[in-house]
Amino acid sequence: MRESANPMRPYLGRLVETRELATGIKLFQVELTEREGNAAFADYRPGQFAFLSAFGAGEAPFGITSTPGRGPLLEFAVNELGHVTHTLHDLEVGDPVGIRGPLGNWFPMEELKGRNILILGGGIGGAPLRPVIHTILDHRQDYGHLTILWAARSPDLLIFTEEFDEWRAAWATELYLTVDQGDEEWTDNVGLITQLLERIAPSPENGVAITCGPPIMIHFVFLTLQKLGFASDQMLTTLEARMHCGIGKCGRCNLGEKFVCVDGPVFWQYEIAGFLEGFL
Amino acid sequence: MRFTTPDGLRAWLDRLAQEIDLIAPTDVDGHALYRPVSSSDEVLLDYERPELSAKDYLLPATEVMLRVEQRGSSVTIEEVLPDRKQVLFGIRPCDAHGLAVIDALFLEQDPPDRYYRHHRERTVLVGMACTRMWEGCFCTSMGGGPMDPTHLDVLVRPGEEGFFLRPVTPKGVAILEGLEVTEPRGEPLPVEEYNEPVPVTEPAKWRPLFGDRIWMRHGERCLSCRICTYVCPTCRCFDVTDRVVEVQPGVTRIERIRAWDACTSTNYRRVAGGHNPRPTKPERLRNRFYCKFCYYPEDFGPLGCVGCGRCILSCPVDIDITEMMRDVAERSGG
Repeated sequence: MRESANPMRPYLGRLVETRELATGIKLFQVELTEREGNAAFADYRPGQFAFLSAFGAGEAPFGITSTPGRGPLLEFAVNELGHVTHTLHDLEVGDPVGIRGPLGNWFPMEELKGRNILILGGGIGGAPLRPVIHTILDHRQDYGHLTILWAARSPDLLIFTEEFDEWRAAWATELYLTVDQGDEEWTDNVGLITQLLERIAPSPENGVAITCGPPIMIHFVFLTLQKLGFASDQMLTTLEARMHCGIGKCGRCNLGEKFVCVDGPVFWQYEIAGFLEGFL
Repeated sequence: MRFTTPDGLRAWLDRLAQEIDLIAPTDVDGHALYRPVSSSDEVLLDYERPELSAKDYLLPATEVMLRVEQRGSSVTIEEVLPDRKQVLFGIRPCDAHGLAVIDALFLEQDPPDRYYRHHRERTVLVGMACTRMWEGCFCTSMGGGPMDPTHLDVLVRPGEEGFFLRPVTPKGVAILEGLEVTEPRGEPLPVEEYNEPVPVTEPAKWRPLFGDRIWMRHGERCLSCRICTYVCPTCRCFDVTDRVVEVQPGVTRIERIRAWDACTSTNYRRVAGGHNPRPTKPERLRNRFYCKFCYYPEDFGPLGCVGCGRCILSCPVDIDITEMMRDVAERSGG
């Protein structure tokens, strides 16, 4: 970001498309309409986040769920939960939005090359992991085995279901699904993601596990991975926090002496284990 | 050191009030508060520590950051940065120290806070030395003092027959140009009374006490009223919201504002989905004290407390930061 730019001023954008991802969750495709905005987002990375503004309602931070290198549109998965997200859900194609970012650190995709990758996504927590999956699929020969565990409370809350075929079809890639509670049509796994993980029991050898979901899920996924032999430098997550600036000033996302916005949102398990204050 | 009579000082303040925004301690229904004044008649020259800090004029309690105008699908965003110069006259040395603490995060950490930096640049700090330490004051334990000029542009010391003014920075020299100086008469007033020092425990020694029961004991009676953070010269957390100011056919005008927020409030860390990693009052109170004595000095340098004592006097349930500091010192072995 240029020194002269105001980091609290959003870049202007336009809603190009929205679609229902799951019950209460919409995918927003946003086109940046200012030159400065396009320059700022020219080299964003998987795992970074941005603030989306619904002018008049405010702004809120979201993990970027689109993938660098897959076109200029930015994508966000938005769960309708509060004032800003209600307003975002009411917007129509063509409506203006504001985008502030890209912010935070990112998944170390270079460092992960050659490793077997285990992805564990819970509910909308899968959204910031999607660019990791896409990046691996787009450079499939650079990475080892890819195992995806994709979970939700119920089948209607699974996100990016229309991409499952693409994921499954990729070389050396497996996708496992599970839901806490099934319905009449559900024939796949029922149970917690940790139970599924224990059953599949992926080898920790040359592996890195990347997880995101509700804090309680992250906590137990880490414990289960440890049981399977994953070391603390083989486990990554990205944390959600309430934020109002994204640049380490407003204080809202502090986790002990760390700020999720600038020290994260991506953390290794050993970093989290060393924090004075827990994220749970 | 320059000397002026009370009349000379008031004449200088009157001139300043005409040229720039003058903020000074004034009497508001029996309370000394820093407020904008238009004449020196309103300015208190003999007063206790004002009940609120001076941070409001550099980090306003509510500040419009952006004005957004939406016409159909076209949006324009205007940055709001007032350009008038202001002088904060009569602030206490602890208030200037508080700003220096905020500087460590808002100016010295990249990117700087654009708004705070702007206000800081347009502001001159003329401090008034204290002639005693009042109830709750413990600035001398926090690296400050009743006559500390360190973070000021000018230090004014009240004297027996007038005021002794000492410019500290080039900004201070410049602001004193219009002052009518006379031969010094009488002596500057000494500090009549010092308070007992409070032990300050180094940041690393706070760490093992994170799970200590003292947080439960102090935190249980907290009301989450947040007054401690509002009166605090170093608390700087904020919230950002939109306010719709005008809706006309085809045009909506919005202000994006930021407002002080407090880590002692229930919702501070609560996310939209309902998860709150800091759901209890002891945890939130602990965060406030760890921020000041452990996180802030570790991350940004200075301690996050200047010993102004305002939180002690304003707390409705008598939570006393110095009591906490003594407990921590005792528990950590000094």
